[in-house]
Amino acid sequence: MSFPDPIAVFRTEAAELLEQIETGLLDLNHDLANKDQVDAVFRGLHTLKGSGAMFGFEALAAFTHHCESAFDQVRKGVVPATHDLVSAVLNATDHMRALIEVPAGDHDAASEHLLSTLRLAVEQAGNPDAGTPVKPAAEPRMTHYRLHFSLPRNAMANGTNPLPLLDELRELGECTVEVHKSCIPALDDLSAGDLYLSWTVNLKTAQPRSAIDDVFIFVMDEMELSLEIVDARNEQADEASPVAEAAPTEAKSNNASGTPVRAESTAVTKAAPQQQDAKQAKSSENVRVPAERLDELMDRVGELVIAQSRLSQLAGSSGDLQLRAVSEDVERLSGELRDTMMVLRMVPVAQLFGRFRRLVHDLAIETGKAIELITEGETTEVDKSVVERLADPLVHLVRNSCDHGLETPEERRAAGKDPVGRIFLSARQAAGEVIITIKDDGRGINRERVRAKAEASGIIAPNAVLADQELLQLIFQPGFSTAQQVTNLSGRGVGMDVVKRTIDALRGSIDVTSHNGTGSEISLAIPLTLAIIDGLLVRVGAGRYVIPLSAVEECLELSPEEDMRSRGRSFISLRDSLVPFIRLRDLFNTNTTPDPFQKVVVISTGSERVGLVVDQIIGDHQTVIKSMSKLHHDVATFSGATILGDGGVALILDVGHLVAAGQHQEAQLRAAG
Amino acid sequence: MSSNASETTLFWHDGLTLRTISKHHDELLLALIAKSAVALDISDDEPADLSFVQLIESARIFASTSGKKLTLLRPATGNLRDVLERGGFLHNISPEDASFWLHDGVK
Repeated sequence: MSFPDPIAVFRTEAAELLEQIETGLLDLNHDLANKDQVDAVFRGLHTLKGSGAMFGFEALAAFTHHCESAFDQVRKGVVPATHDLVSAVLNATDHMRALIEVPAGDHDAASEHLLSTLRLAVEQAGNPDAGTPVKPAAEPRMTHYRLHFSLPRNAMANGTNPLPLLDELRELGECTVEVHKSCIPALDDLSAGDLYLSWTVNLKTAQPRSAIDDVFIFVMDEMELSLEIVDARNEQADEASPVAEAAPTEAKSNNASGTPVRAESTAVTKAAPQQQDAKQAKSSENVRVPAERLDELMDRVGELVIAQSRLSQLAGSSGDLQLRAVSEDVERLSGELRDTMMVLRMVPVAQLFGRFRRLVHDLAIETGKAIELITEGETTEVDKSVVERLADPLVHLVRNSCDHGLETPEERRAAGKDPVGRIFLSARQAAGEVIITIKDDGRGINRERVRAKAEASGIIAPNAVLADQELLQLIFQPGFSTAQQVTNLSGRGVGMDVVKRTIDALRGSIDVTSHNGTGSEISLAIPLTLAIIDGLLVRVGAGRYVIPLSAVEECLELSPEEDMRSRGRSFISLRDSLVPFIRLRDLFNTNTTPDPFQKVVVISTGSERVGLVVDQIIGDHQTVIKSMSKLHHDVATFSGATILGDGGVALILDVGHLVAAGQHQEAQLRAAG
Repeated sequence: MSSNASETTLFWHDGLTLRTISKHHDELLLALIAKSAVALDISDDEPADLSFVQLIESARIFASTSGKKLTLLRPATGNLRDVLERGGFLHNISPEDASFWLHDGVK
């Protein structure tokens, strides 16, 4: 059994911390007076600095220290939070990522540049020239705390040095530290690496209680800490600390001076175990598992499903009732295992959407546009590999909307619009797909320019007749761009091509709508999972094929009469509407005699339907999707392959492609009259 | 280490920290069992941490209960003094402790 590399664990946790910090900064940017966000960002930076130092990322710790100090000043009310300060720290978080990924790299110049920007932002925040009167500093509220704390026996062995903790307490104010040695055993009983000391600290400080908590932030779960307020002058009742919020109990305590004190020890000792329990309970509820282990497990489940399929086939052809019963049990269990596995791999798209807040923030600065990002459906869950692969296409689409879609504030005002442009990012599940929509309220796609560009580039023939969707889909052609200027953001004709290829590789589809002057909407329909699907196994000629069950609407029999009637037209009448169908025998050139009673499997993507004519419907089939080889990369009709119970291979039909082909066929027939 | 039949002096120049604490523990215990008086020669630039101060306090207890004598050859200075201050050992220090660590009142 291998144990996780602590550095890798730190990197993972640091990435999460940085995401939290970034989210906090972006929230703060919308509400600069939000003290909770200031505290959250400060705590995040403090934790990152501390854990970075603990794992030997000295450059990260030193760099983060400056950001932490800046936020400490905000927290203490020395300087107000400003947009410039938030932006400076946001930029610094990118650099922190670099310091984590390549700690030995040459980061000095970048560090110095970012820190000088940060220093400037802090100076300007503390010395506003805009004429805004600086709020006079409130008289410091000095509070006299008495803390008693001890650390776990193995604290030093685990890398916790109590001296820096004591130093940090001293930095908070006037402080006396007294050590207690009574637990130290004689030398022959001493375990030399253990810690037997405890401390009493008298601290007079203007800092809130949370500043004391921050000192112990890394050891809080394991240490014993009691705290009492000996004397609180001008202390506010609404102190942020959870402990201070607990109802204080008036009590007499024997202190050195014999004066009564307001002791909160009771509240502390009650609250602390509860906090510990809650933290422990929380940590026991979640297990961090490397993604590759989930992938390995998924592969195993896939193999099990194939083996089970084989067993089912053997049992079906056997007269042994016990074997059949066992086979049915195995089938049920492997189905349940598969479903559980699928749930394990599902992650909310919030993970994906979170990063776009930062992107839009940066793009607004780069383009000089006022942009608001509105997200919806963040709890929608998708297979983790889908989320990972959707990230880049969505970045391109959001960039494109910001750069090309949205107008400048002046243009928007001139068009009678709100100067703030809006980008809507939403996710929802529909059947076996997740639909991710990127919508903007910008100028819309200029169809004339798209056509002109496509004709000039030779993508379409001059004056070619195209449906509106076909015209709009041209923006996904390689090398296509209507941007008159290549910018850092877009206009290189690369991004949208990448989007198309990635979505195709995900077995997804793209739908574009656009209205002049009111904006564009691009919807990506992606299968919920890429690993195992429920399929409908069919036979066409001698070959077997799988149709994703989530796309199947119904199955019909195509009578010889109806088949004859529809010759040349390829439409069937389905509850008073005509549905185009495709004869897969013709498509696949089977060169075999058709079965007398052909079947039609009606499939759909959204509102579009098409029938697929097959020779035989064999039944449902748990389909473990195997990728097609590179040789078959250009075969659009199939999205993958699967192994059947008898060891044979069945190709998986690409529903999106077939529906589009059916619709195209319908459009051509309609055009032909 | 220099010693005679009843006294010994321990010199430690490989750091007075957690990294070497087990070795120092063993040496000190052996010395206190074997000798009636042990002196510690500690350089003021020797890196030190709390584990070492704790070791010496533990050795003082052992020496006291077993009728042995443990002393510092020189008053604590440099890094060791810094640890004592930062660790709160010098606040409200007792005369015995002041005598041992700082040689206060020692002539």
